[in-house]
Amino acid sequence: MDTLLEILNPSFLLRNALYGGLVIGLVAPLVGVFLLARRLVFIGITLPQVSTAGVAAAFVWHTYFHGHQSRDVSDFMLALVGSTILTFAVILGLAFLERRGRGLGEGRIGMLYAIAGAVTILLLASDRVTEIGVLGLLKGEIIAIPDIELLILFLGYGAILILLTVFHKELVLVTVDREMAISLGKRVLVWDLLLFGIVGVTISLGVLVVGPLVMFGFLIVPPMIAGRLAVGMRGVSIVAATVGAGIALVGFAAAYRLDLPTGPSDVAIAGVVLAVVMTWQSMRAFVFRTAVQ
Amino acid sequence: MWRGRCDLADALISFQDVALGYDGVPVLEGLVLDVLAGDFLALVGPNGCGKSTILKGMAGILEPLRGRISREIDGRPVRFGYVPQRETIEMVFPLTVFQVALMGTYGRVRPGRPVTHAERELVRGCLDDLGLGDLQRKPFPALSGGQRQRVLIARALAAEPDLLLLDEPLSGIDLRAAQVIMDLIERLHRERRLTMVMVSHHLKVLREHEMVREVVWVHEGKLLRGAAAVMLAPEMVFRMMDADGG
Repeated sequence: MDTLLEILNPSFLLRNALYGGLVIGLVAPLVGVFLLARRLVFIGITLPQVSTAGVAAAFVWHTYFHGHQSRDVSDFMLALVGSTILTFAVILGLAFLERRGRGLGEGRIGMLYAIAGAVTILLLASDRVTEIGVLGLLKGEIIAIPDIELLILFLGYGAILILLTVFHKELVLVTVDREMAISLGKRVLVWDLLLFGIVGVTISLGVLVVGPLVMFGFLIVPPMIAGRLAVGMRGVSIVAATVGAGIALVGFAAAYRLDLPTGPSDVAIAGVVLAVVMTWQSMRAFVFRTAVQ
Repeated sequence: MWRGRCDLADALISFQDVALGYDGVPVLEGLVLDVLAGDFLALVGPNGCGKSTILKGMAGILEPLRGRISREIDGRPVRFGYVPQRETIEMVFPLTVFQVALMGTYGRVRPGRPVTHAERELVRGCLDDLGLGDLQRKPFPALSGGQRQRVLIARALAAEPDLLLLDEPLSGIDLRAAQVIMDLIERLHRERRLTMVMVSHHLKVLREHEMVREVVWVHEGKLLRGAAAVMLAPEMVFRMMDADGG
């Protein structure tokens, strides 16, 4: 409790890291609900990896052409550009293939994951300075976030929150029943692009703050927990966002208290919550079956 | 090929030498078919012959590879009520019965605008009409096959359609539930004067309902249209199924 009070104090030194984690914990599960509902979980793990490769590529590119000493842009902006360009290039490529009826083949997405991981490691191996910066991302060490980066995160995720709220029914319709959406005259391609754009921004921004592992964790685990506790897309979304924000808060407190990296602590706690919910539901079902017999 | 009545001015749907298929490869070619206001048309044929493909072409879900499909009434696009096969709906997170039926109104509500109270009342009315009023808060996947089918019909009615398209509404449900669904469809056709096209391979059930006046056999990539009494006669069924190896 003391730890919670300490980290919630407005003058807490690492408050930006806490706020960043909370915003991602709140918004990423809302996007993850759509990824799960469309059975695109593999996309949820691959795109953060692609985004990280984009960050590494941007740093290495800058080192190669400008050297380490002459950075005229901040590391964050450089990383954001690299992450965004590569993430959206991959999203557009996948959307194009899906549009041509080739589907989002699991093999293709798995291959992308492997290649993105390998490219990231090779790029890091070629540049020691970049390696140090990106390794922190890979470990999910959320320590210091400058005010400007937090502001960009707030603005980006705020826009996503507004889009998800305003266009909830359209996004649900194309997710749950594409054919019905087309028969109602909806422009499915436009809504798909909006959804994939939202996914792209969520991942490319979030990866810079919490890293690929934690990003994937926040995208997938809270919606899985919520799916066991609520009914309907709106109900699941609200519970997922609440669970995600709660995990981010408790995870940060645990990491601060035990001197552990924040991101993996968040994911571990999310796993524990999921296990508790599943066990509780199994026990309840067992008691119900026993009572009926 | 017998095309039946053919006054294009009354046609809600008109296929003009249409080829339909997937990934650029035609499955059906040279299709000529009109659906007129007030029709009840049954599309029949063996599994995999392309019945659902034609229905998707009507709904605009599949665009023709060649030819033209006209979908207009009084100078405006035809409003569809589409009842898909139940398993095509993604239900990772279960929606309630009301939420599923509410989707029918989304074609009228502009993007970003909330569904109005009047639209919600319309949906409740559709659910009540189909005997689902008490199930509105139930999760959709928790319903029986017949109940789910009725919810999907309620959703299609909520679209206030000119044309109701039903894709295998009797598949995967027992005979009694199928009878209930058919009686319901018959009532809607009669009371609301709804134009309907239904894909089915339950020939016995179709034969027992008077509303099925015209039948289209989808046979070896071609359409054969005629009066139900002729097209569903045992000798015709035998000929069609035997020719397809059935």
